[in-house]
Amino acid sequence: MLPFIEAYFAPKKDIPRRVYLSVSTLVGFLGLAFWCALAYGGLVRPDFLPTPVAVAKAGIAGIEDGSLLVNTVASLTEIMTGFVLASIFAVPIGILMGSFKIVEASVEPVTNFVRYLPVSALIPLLILWVGIDIEEKVAVIFIGTFFQQLILIADVSRGVSHDLLDVSYTLGADRRTVVTRVLIPATMPGVMDTLRVTLGWAWTYLVVAELVAANKGLGYFILNSMRGLFTDQIFLGIMVIGLLGLIADQIFKLARNWLLPWAANP
Amino acid sequence: MAKLHIDNVALRFLPKGGSPVTALENISLDVGEEEFSVIVGPSGCGKTSLLRLVAGLTQPSEGAIYLDGHAVTRPGKDRGMVFQSYTLFPWLRVEENVEFGLKIAGIEQAERKRIAQRYIAEVGLEGFERAYPKQLSGGMMQRVALARALANDPEILLMDEPFGALDAQTRSLMQELLLKIWEHAHKTVLFITHDIDEAILLGDRVYVMTARPGRIKEKIDIDIARPRSVEVLTSDRFIAIKRRIMGLIHEEAVRAMA
Repeated sequence: MLPFIEAYFAPKKDIPRRVYLSVSTLVGFLGLAFWCALAYGGLVRPDFLPTPVAVAKAGIAGIEDGSLLVNTVASLTEIMTGFVLASIFAVPIGILMGSFKIVEASVEPVTNFVRYLPVSALIPLLILWVGIDIEEKVAVIFIGTFFQQLILIADVSRGVSHDLLDVSYTLGADRRTVVTRVLIPATMPGVMDTLRVTLGWAWTYLVVAELVAANKGLGYFILNSMRGLFTDQIFLGIMVIGLLGLIADQIFKLARNWLLPWAANP
Repeated sequence: MAKLHIDNVALRFLPKGGSPVTALENISLDVGEEEFSVIVGPSGCGKTSLLRLVAGLTQPSEGAIYLDGHAVTRPGKDRGMVFQSYTLFPWLRVEENVEFGLKIAGIEQAERKRIAQRYIAEVGLEGFERAYPKQLSGGMMQRVALARALANDPEILLMDEPFGALDAQTRSLMQELLLKIWEHAHKTVLFITHDIDEAILLGDRVYVMTARPGRIKEKIDIDIARPRSVEVLTSDRFIAIKRRIMGLIHEEAVRAMA
């Protein structure tokens, strides 16, 4: 067997950082090369697949006329509002739900019902109720993420070891102290991971909501570009969403290491 | 009067979808002031349940438990406990873990720090005050757990197989450390184990429990001089006691299998 296959293809073994980065870069370039070959080689019509240069130009044009910024800011405002609102309620209720049977009994049945309703099915109703402005997007993101967060955070809370709570009682803690000084801190790594995962879902709901009805935002930008067959702009919109997601994910990673240096890595 | 008095305690419970189980029955025992008592028994005999009753984490179905003449009704800091599982608070540094009980009792910071430092030194972890539990080995975590329990100055120390998850070498070092600490801290200890060597090495008295339902089968006084070290493990007296306890436990193991 070739020596590098022997060294780099063992399950669960680390590889040198240099090799890791080279492979990531290489695959990135291969993807780009494939795209170039399809676009410049005339294999696909330009109104189906724009060239990388056309997308870059669309990006510059979008920055110059301000449309890219306006739409990005609109989407970011909607997603942050909806996501923060959902999290503010889901984190405390979820923690209580996972550790107090009485809260679980009152919240879980309805949560499990709503959780299986696709949010997209609720969009027409929400438009009817609150219109197509930011309130509707916030409502879609809230409903889409809140109930999922609730279930995931309740599981995190349920997973906190009984012994950790019991030892606190034997050290003289009362119930209130056990909740505030033991249960809540113990759930924090899991809560952070849940927020990180659900933020990704929130992006999906946002774009769906914007595709259905909106007058600004990245989803609207993409839909509007489709109407004029501006494929370069569609690609631009998709890439901006991907990039924002990547940045948000990195921020969560850094925040976890910074806020919870004591936690084991996921 | 005994420091800890367990008076005819029974524990019954109804498992979900099962028939009623009697975990403990007719348990009476006394632990004297500054005495080191060990309960040894086959797995599943209810040793841990008994310790949890003393801690007040569970309530007995019958009988009562008294510490210094007061009935135990709930957990309290007069009964410090060390668990088999690792129970350090991962978000607190070693010194903050040791200070936990003192802090919730409202003891001021300088005093807390002084007490914590003393017990951290006692368990040999100077230099690790600022470490997080994830940076420690299993043996080190159990030493912090012991320091944390001792820092609260409990009337009795309850230990539930605290060294059960450790490797043999670390376990033997921990036993010696515990003996050393006990010999000058003069705490009353109730210690649970399934390891007969550990029971004889540590205890003034060893209670052998029966298989479920758990009862006290026999009380054995360990007349081996203190201070003890692991060297006593090969003494004739030790081996004689060990043979006797092994016989008792074997009977129970066979009975449980039947």
